[in-house]
Amino acid sequence: MSGEDGGKEYAYFLGCITPNRYPGIEAATKKIFKGFGIESKEMVGASCCPAPGVFGSFDMHTWLPVAARNLAIAEEMGLEIFVTCNGCYATLQEADHLLKKHPKLKEKTNKILSEIGREYKGTTKVNHSIVIMHDIIGLDKLKERITKPMNDVNVAVHYGCHFLKPREVRGHGSSETPYILEDLVKVTGAKEVDYKDKLMCCGAGGGNRTADSVQSLEWTRQKLVNATIAGCDCMVHPCAFCHLQLDRGQAEMNKAFGTDFNFPILFITQFLGLAMGLSVKELGLDIQTTTIPEKLLK
Amino acid sequence: MGTLYEDMVDYGGEVFGREHLETLRECVQCGKCTGGCPSGRNTALRTRKLMQMALLDMREEIFNAPELWFCSTCFTCYERCPKGVKTTDIIRTLRNLAAKEGHMSVPHRMIGVYVMKTGHAVPIGPAQMELREAVGLESQPPTAQHPQNKEQLEQVQKLFRATNYDAMIDFDWDTMNLRGMDKGGKK
Amino acid sequence: MGDLEEEYDYTKIPPTGSAEGIAAGAPEDSPRIGVYVCHCGINIKMTVDVEDVMRYAASLPNVVVARHYIFMCSDPGQDLIRKDLAAGRINRVVVASCSPRMHEPTFRKTCSDSGLNPFYYEMANIREHCSWPHGDFHKEATEKAKELVRSAVARSALLEPIEEKLVDVKPEALVIGGGVTGMYAALDIANGGYKVHLVESKPSIGGHVAQLSRTFPTLERTASLLTPRMIEVGAHPNIDLMTYSEVEEIGGYIGNFDVKVKRKPRYIDTEKCKDCTPCIEACPVKDIPDEFNEGLSTRSAIYIPFPFAVPPAYTIDAEHCLLLKEGKCGDATLETIKEGKAVPPCMAACPGVIDFEQKEEIEEFTAGTIIVATGYDLVNPEVSAEYKYGVYPNVITSMEFERLLSPGGPTGGKIELNGKEPKDIMFISCVGSRNKQVGNEYCSRVCCMYLAKQAYLAKEQLPDANVTVCFQDVRAFGKGFEEFYGDVKTKGVFYMRGLPGEIYKKPGSDRVVVRGENTLIGEPYEQEADLVVLGMGLAPNKDVESIISMLKLSTSVDGFLMEAHPKLRPVDTATDGIFIAGCCVSPKDITDSIAQGKATASGSLRYLVQGRAVIEPAISQIDEEICIGCGRCAEVCPYGALELDEVRHVMTVNEAICKGCGGCNSVCPSGAATMKHYRDRQVYAQIDALTEVTDVGRLAEPESASAAEVAAEASAGAADTGSETGEVEGAETEAVPSAG
Repeated sequence: MSGEDGGKEYAYFLGCITPNRYPGIEAATKKIFKGFGIESKEMVGASCCPAPGVFGSFDMHTWLPVAARNLAIAEEMGLEIFVTCNGCYATLQEADHLLKKHPKLKEKTNKILSEIGREYKGTTKVNHSIVIMHDIIGLDKLKERITKPMNDVNVAVHYGCHFLKPREVRGHGSSETPYILEDLVKVTGAKEVDYKDKLMCCGAGGGNRTADSVQSLEWTRQKLVNATIAGCDCMVHPCAFCHLQLDRGQAEMNKAFGTDFNFPILFITQFLGLAMGLSVKELGLDIQTTTIPEKLLK
Repeated sequence: MGTLYEDMVDYGGEVFGREHLETLRECVQCGKCTGGCPSGRNTALRTRKLMQMALLDMREEIFNAPELWFCSTCFTCYERCPKGVKTTDIIRTLRNLAAKEGHMSVPHRMIGVYVMKTGHAVPIGPAQMELREAVGLESQPPTAQHPQNKEQLEQVQKLFRATNYDAMIDFDWDTMNLRGMDKGGKK
Repeated sequence: MGDLEEEYDYTKIPPTGSAEGIAAGAPEDSPRIGVYVCHCGINIKMTVDVEDVMRYAASLPNVVVARHYIFMCSDPGQDLIRKDLAAGRINRVVVASCSPRMHEPTFRKTCSDSGLNPFYYEMANIREHCSWPHGDFHKEATEKAKELVRSAVARSALLEPIEEKLVDVKPEALVIGGGVTGMYAALDIANGGYKVHLVESKPSIGGHVAQLSRTFPTLERTASLLTPRMIEVGAHPNIDLMTYSEVEEIGGYIGNFDVKVKRKPRYIDTEKCKDCTPCIEACPVKDIPDEFNEGLSTRSAIYIPFPFAVPPAYTIDAEHCLLLKEGKCGDATLETIKEGKAVPPCMAACPGVIDFEQKEEIEEFTAGTIIVATGYDLVNPEVSAEYKYGVYPNVITSMEFERLLSPGGPTGGKIELNGKEPKDIMFISCVGSRNKQVGNEYCSRVCCMYLAKQAYLAKEQLPDANVTVCFQDVRAFGKGFEEFYGDVKTKGVFYMRGLPGEIYKKPGSDRVVVRGENTLIGEPYEQEADLVVLGMGLAPNKDVESIISMLKLSTSVDGFLMEAHPKLRPVDTATDGIFIAGCCVSPKDITDSIAQGKATASGSLRYLVQGRAVIEPAISQIDEEICIGCGRCAEVCPYGALELDEVRHVMTVNEAICKGCGGCNSVCPSGAATMKHYRDRQVYAQIDALTEVTDVGRLAEPESASAAEVAAEASAGAADTGSETGEVEGAETEAVPSAG
C-alpha cells in the first residue's frame, strides 16, 4: 500500500455524484489527501456503485454483481478503496461484507462475473474518506495544517445515513452518539452545534427523491430549518448524495415552496480545505447552488 | 409463489441469509420503528404496520401502496428495533418482490436506463465537464462512462443482461431506452 | 410426527411385560442385571418400540430379566424392581427412561431401600437422548434406544458399590447481601436458632428496597415496612452483621466453608457515634453525588447513607475524604493528628469518635451453608441513547423518580425538576429490557407495575398534570396487579401503546418532545413533556463477579445466576450447601424476593438442623501402589482437593473437597488417579458397547490391538469386581449404614 514517497495509495471510487455533479468534492479530497502523502488512484472502468437504495431496492441480485465488479477492479489494483459518498460506501462495503459472509453467494456472484472475465476475491477493503482522515491521517496532523481557523463558525454536522448504519456492517460504533465528523469539524476550531434531528436523513436516499421529489425535499427543508434555528452557519457532511439533496435541493425547494434558502453546504474536505487555506475556487465551492459566506473565509 | 413471507425469505435470503429476514416473525408491534421514522412524520409510511401486513400476506396492499417507496433506507428503525427485526432489509426485499411483479415507477426505471447507457445513475454532460476543468480535474474521469472505456461499459451492460434487469424494466437495447418511449422522454 | 403416529399403533403395546434374560440362572456372585424399559406414558413409547428394546435387553450379557412398564417411576413401576431384588434374582439395576437429572435419585433410593448399594444402579436416557429428539424416526430411534441400553448394561456389569460419606455441618450460615432477600433469609435462620453471618458491602443494609417510595400494588410506604425488619436484623443476637464488608475468600465444602471477610474501615467508632450532624456540616467536601439519592443530591465525605440506616453509623468515604485521599485536610495531616496538633474539621466538630488510624480487618469464620443474595443493578440508561438520558436533564430513570417520590428524598417527596413542578410527565416502559440491541432479551418483570405505581403517585400528587405511560405490553400478572392497573387508569393516567422512537429537546425551550407512534390508532405523534421517566430494567450486579468465581457458580446467558433446575430447584445451585435467592437469580419484586430468601433459609436449615450432610461420593481415588507423587493432579485440581503426602510420597484426596470433576484422572501420567463410579474400564466398556456394530450382545471383533486390550481389560474388570468392593469402604469418614 506504500506509495513512492512512503505515503499511502488508495483506489478512489468516485461513483456518480462526486465526479459528475460536484467535482469540487473530488478536487478537495484529492488535494487534502495528497498533502498528507496519500495518493488517490483512479479506478479505470468503475461504474455506478450501484446506488444502494435504488438498485438494492429494485433487484439486489443485479445490485450485488455490479458492486462486486467495482470491488474486483480495486482488487486487481491491489489497493483498498476510499469513497466520498455514503451511497457508494453503503453499496461497496455492504456487498463486500455479504460476499465475505456468505460463501455460496460469493460463488454465485463470481459465476456471473466470470462472464465478463472478472472475479471477486475478497482482498480489498472499503474505507470512507472521513475515517482515513480521522484514523489514518489523524486529528493532530490535520490540526497542524489549519491556517485559517474557523473559530467563530457554528457548524451543523450532518452524517447522512449509511456512514453509521447499519452498525453491524459499518463498524463505527454507536449510531446515536457518533463522534468522527464532530472531531474533524472541531479540528478547525469551529464549534459543532447540536440541532434538532441532527442524525436525520437528508431525504434523498432509498429512491425517495426519485419517488416523490417534493416530499423528499420536505425532509431537507426540516433539517435546514432546524440547523438555522440552532444558530448554525453552515452544514458539513460526508456524502456526495446528501450534498446534491442539501445544496441543489435548496434551489428546488425555493421553487417548490417559494422559500429563499441559501444555507451553505460543505463536504467535509471542502470545509477542511477552507481552514487549510485553499480557495473557494480550488474547492469548487463557487460552482454549487449555495454560496459560502464571508464568515467562513476569514 | 408462496406466501409473501416465504417469498421474501427465499428471495432476500440468498443475499442477506435467510435468518436475517426471518427476524420479521419476531416483530412485537411495539412501534419503535414508526416512532422514530423520518418518513413516517411526512408520509403515510408506517413501518410497524408494514411488518404486520407482510406477516398477514397482504401482498397486493403492500405492493400497491406508494409509501412502500417512501422509506429512505436510513436504518434508524433497523438500529433501534428491540427485537432485532431487520426492518430496512425486509423493506428492501419487499420492494424487490414488488418490482419483479411490475410495481416500479417510470422515474425509478429510468435510473436503470442511465446506468445501462452510461454506467452511471447520474451521467456527466458537457456543462459538468467544464465544472471539472474549473477545479483542475480532467474533463472526464476514467470511469465506465469515458468514451475510451467502451469495453468497461459493455461489461456493466452484460451484468444487467445476465441478471435480467433489462427485462424487468422493459429496456430496449435498440433505442437504449424504456420500450415504447421516445428518446429521453418521460411518461 | 403426524404420519408416524398413525402408522404406529402404540396402543397395542400392553402397559407391562417381561422377558427372561440370557444370564438367568447365573451364579450369585456374578453380575445379574435387571433391565427396566419405561414407556414414560407415551413420551417414549410413541417413538421407541419398548417391547423390542426389552427383548433386546434380555439378550445382552449378564441380563437376568428385562421388563417394560408404562411408568417406571411410579410406585408399581418401582415395585417391579423391588420384587426382583427381594427375590434375589438380580444384583444390578438398569432403568431405560429419562435423564438421570430427573429420576436417578428416585431409582437409587429404590435400590437402597431394597438393600442394594445405590451405585449398582445405572440409567439409560432413552427420552431426552432418543424419543424426544428423534420423534420422526421410529425405527432408528428404537435402534438407538437399544444401543443406549446396551451401553448401560455393559457399564452396569462393572459397577462397584460406593458408600456415601457424611460430613459434620458447622451450624452457622453465611448470607451474602443485605438487601431485602438476604435480610429475610438471615432472619429465618437466626429465628430458627442458628447463627448467621450477614455480609453487606454497603454501609447499611436495606438494599435497593430502601430507596423505593412505596410498594405496588398496595401503595404502602416502603420505609415503614422495611425499617422494623432492618432494626430486627441489626439487633438480632444470632446475626453477626458485617456491613461495609466484602467476602474476600471462600474455600471448603458443604458444612465447612472457610470464609474470609474484609471489613473496610469506617474511620468512625460506631459504638460512640451518636448519629448527629456536626461532622457532616464540618466536612469541607460536599459535592459527592449521593448514591442513595441516585445522584440527585450531594453528600459530604463523612456521611450516613440514609436516616434509617442500619447500623445507624457514619462512614468516612476514603475515596473522597481529603485527609485520606490527599493526605491533608486544611492544616491537618495524619501526623498532626497523632501529634495532637491540627485536626480536620470533622474531628474538631466531634472529638473522640473519628479515628483515622482504623485499618482494614480480615475476619475469618466457618459456615455450614452459604446463601447468595447479591441483588441487581439498574441497566445503564445510556444504552438506549435515543432517549437521551444524560443529555437532557428532563430524562431521568425510574429509580431517580422513586427518590423524588420519597419523603426522605432530595425534594422531600415533591415531584419537581430544578424546583419546578412538571405539567407533562411521560413514562417509557421496557428501557433496557426485552431488547436485543441492548443485549437484554429478558423481561425485567417489575417495571410494568412500578411504572403503574409511579404514574399513580404522580397523578395523585399533581392531579392537573398530564401523565402518560408509553408501553408495549402491560404485564400485570401478580396478585392484585391487574386490579391495580385498572385503578391507575381510572385515576386518569393515560396508557399509550407503542415504544417511543426518540426524544429531542424542543428548540428554544427547556422541555423535551417524545416522538412515537400510537400503535393502536397507527399514527405517529410528538408529545411535549417536562419530565420523562425511563422504566429501567434490572441487570445482574456487576460488583459480585469475584463471589461468583469464588463459589464457582454458573450464570445463564442473561448473566443472572443459574439455578440447579429452573423449575424444580429454583434456589439451589449445583454445589450442595450453596443457595441463591432474589434478584441475583432473576429480576423479581419484593414479594418474590422475600419468598426466595425464606426458601434458602429453609434449604440451609435442613443442613444446620441435621448437623450432617452427604458429600459427593463419585470422587477421585488415588491408587497409592501406582502413584509416583508427581503432583500433576494437584496442578489441575480446581478445588485444591489433592495434596502430597510427603512421608509416603503419594498424592492424597481430601474427600470432602473433591467434587469429582475428573481433571486429575485425565492428567495422571501413571493412571493412579481414577474416579469412583467412573473408572476407566467402566467408561471404556460403555463406549465399546456404543461403538459395537454387531446386532446382539457380543463385542465386535476389535479392529486394532488397543481396542482389543481395552476389551480384555473390560472383561477382566467384570471378573474381579467383587474383590474390589472392600477397597472403597475406607474408614476415613463415617460411612452411611446400608439400608435393609
